Order: sequence, then structure tokens, then C-alpha cells
Amino acid sequence: MQTLTRRLLCATLLLGVSALPAQEVRDPPKTRVANFDRRDLSGTWDRYPLPLDAHQDTSVVPPPPDIPPPPLKPEFKAAWEAHQKKVDEANKRGEPIATGYTHCIPDGMPAMMMAMFPMEVLQTKRQVTIIQEAYNQIRRIYLNDTLPAVEDAEPGFWGHSAGRWEGDTFVVETVGIKPHVQFRNTPHSADMRIHERMRRITPDHFENMVTVTDPAYLAKPWQWKWVYQRRPNYKMFEYVCEDNREYADPETGAARMRLGSKP
Amino acid sequence: MIYKHRRALAAVTALGLLAASGQALAHHSFAMFEPTKQIRMTGKVKDFRWQNPHVYIELTAADASGESRNWTIECANPGILNRVGWKFNMIKPDDTITVIVAPLRTGEPGALLKQIKIADGRIFGNGGPAGLPNIPIE
Repeated sequence: MQTLTRRLLCATLLLGVSALPAQEVRDPPKTRVANFDRRDLSGTWDRYPLPLDAHQDTSVVPPPPDIPPPPLKPEFKAAWEAHQKKVDEANKRGEPIATGYTHCIPDGMPAMMMAMFPMEVLQTKRQVTIIQEAYNQIRRIYLNDTLPAVEDAEPGFWGHSAGRWEGDTFVVETVGIKPHVQFRNTPHSADMRIHERMRRITPDHFENMVTVTDPAYLAKPWQWKWVYQRRPNYKMFEYVCEDNREYADPETGAARMRLGSKP
Repeated sequence: MIYKHRRALAAVTALGLLAASGQALAHHSFAMFEPTKQIRMTGKVKDFRWQNPHVYIELTAADASGESRNWTIECANPGILNRVGWKFNMIKPDDTITVIVAPLRTGEPGALLKQIKIADGRIFGNGGPAGLPNIPIE
């Protein structure tokens, strides 16, 4: 609310209160700042809402709903649910199952876009580049590019992305994600496509409607929304896993922590 | 006091939501640490490593049993800690510090930091994902 008040005050000062009729002064701030460039996603952003941030004002933009479970085909659903149960039980026992994070492996797509840590968007005429602070992840989205055919798409963590503007919405298609790069332990085939629709909803927020399709594993498209909030004047930190003390117990597969510094 | 209550409530609510949605909180699960049991220790810093994926403090300290041991204390990462006010050189070997930690469930002398009081008396948290202390630091 303080931010809102400050913004209102700044807008009021910029516009010059004395020149305005009283009615306009009472207008909500969104009508005042409607002229921001909706085709500009550049800047540094946090996921929204930010977990455990009691100072965050969530009254202006409603937080997105929880991500639903993947709509896996029946033949894959039971195995996914059994694995989730195993993960929950292991956590309750205090023996969490080692994951890619245990080995300092980056998220890849689409998990990178959850914005675990701050995210920077750089925009040029030919390319939108998204940098995620966690693991120094970089994603390059080429504008108006043609995606490779499935058999030509060399698999990777972030795959191949082509973007285009549809009005004020930045539409991105991504293919070529490695089989073991999984979001929420969800298996996928080489035919998986990640479709994103990014749209600025306020001067300080943009949303990303994500739709994952995969005819081999999903019964229907898997869809959710992420929202990001601007983190003004933020300078991104580097992230190199130079001394990872997490490891998987060779006998149980549980994540463990090595004690003591290396010399 | 009202502010403190609101903050604690927000934290609990957020944790519940995150747990329900299964969303990754950080670099890894914190399930290897005691979920509610926390201990306070004062001791001398043996080593301080400002690095990813985690910052670590090696602390020689006695716990409630009185036995002095070398503890490995896991902190968040430099990015998170910078964002909650830490500085890379605010802790040095031989500093006397007080910590509240959640120890490893295995009983080994390793722990997750919840709150820290450094040599100059300033108190810092360990960032949102690591959670809040449930005992006072002083």
C-alpha cells in the first residue's frame, strides 16, 4: 500500500495536481499509468507473490491459482502419483529423495520460468533473452524464427524457442527439452511443446500463461499461470555451484549434507 | 506486536500454500533438518564460506548438553542473503556469534540456520525459504 501511495504521489506530482479537476485526482492509479509500453518486458522481475514476503501488497494483482497436477494419460498417472507419494513419505521421514537440485543441475524449461530467484529480461529487435539468477540460467527466444522439426531439435535444458508479438502479447513456442529435464516429475516425449503467452498487466507486473502439450503423455493440455513483479534497480548476482555439499546417499538415494569445509 | 503477528501468519500461510502446491522452495528440500525443533548456540566461527549453492558457517559451539562440537551451518545462498541485508564479509573467523538453527535429524552436527546474531550485535534472518526462528535469539 505504501508503494501504491508513493506511486500515486509521484503521478500526482508529475501531472501537476493544480491543473487537474478534483475528479481526476481520485482516479485509481491504473488509469493514470496506462501509457506504459506493453511490448516492453525488459527489466528485473521476481515471482509473484513472493513467498513469505509479508510486505508485499497483493491487493492490486490477484495471485495466480495453484498449478494443477499434470493431466497425464491414465497409463502414466498411477506411476506419477506413486512417485509423489514416495516423495511425500520420504520428506516426512526426513530423508528427502535426491533431485537434480541435489546435484546442482539447473531447472531448465519450463521450471526456470517459475522464477525461483530474480529474473532479468533483455529485449532487442531480434531476440528476447531471459536470465534466471539461480544457476545462471539463460534462455534465448529468437523473434519470428522457425522452430526446428522434432527430429532436428537437439535436446537441451532450455530447448529452442521462437517468439512473436500478437498485439500486446508475446507468444513463445519451445521445443527440444531433454527427457530427464522434468517439471514436477512429469515425463514427456520429444513432441512436448511449451506454449507461453506473456503479457504486461500493470507497469510493474507481467503474466505468463503456460500451456504444455504432449500427445504421448498428456491427456489434454496442461495449463497454468505465472505472474512476475518488477524488482526495480536490481543487479543480478552470479551463481556458480562452486562447493556443493549436497549428495545422494549411494544406498538409499536420500539427499545428504557433507559436513565441514574443504581445505 | 501486531506487525509481528501478521508477519508470522503470512509466513505460515505461505508455507502451507507452498507445501500444498509442492512448489520448490529453494535449492533443495529442507526435510533433512528437524521440522520444528530448534536450538540456540553461541560459539566461535572457524570458517565462513560465501558461495553457491549455499553459504556455510563452521562454528565451534556447545549445544544444550554442554558438549563442544564443530557444527556445519547451512545458510541460504549469496543472492538471497544479500536481499535480506547480509554482506559477504560481515562474518569472519574467530568472531563470536549466536545462532538459532534446526539441526539435522540424523544427530550429526549439521544444521539449517534460522537466525543469526553477528559479532557487532546485528541480527539477520536466513531468507524466506529457510523459515523463521521459533525461539528467541536473546
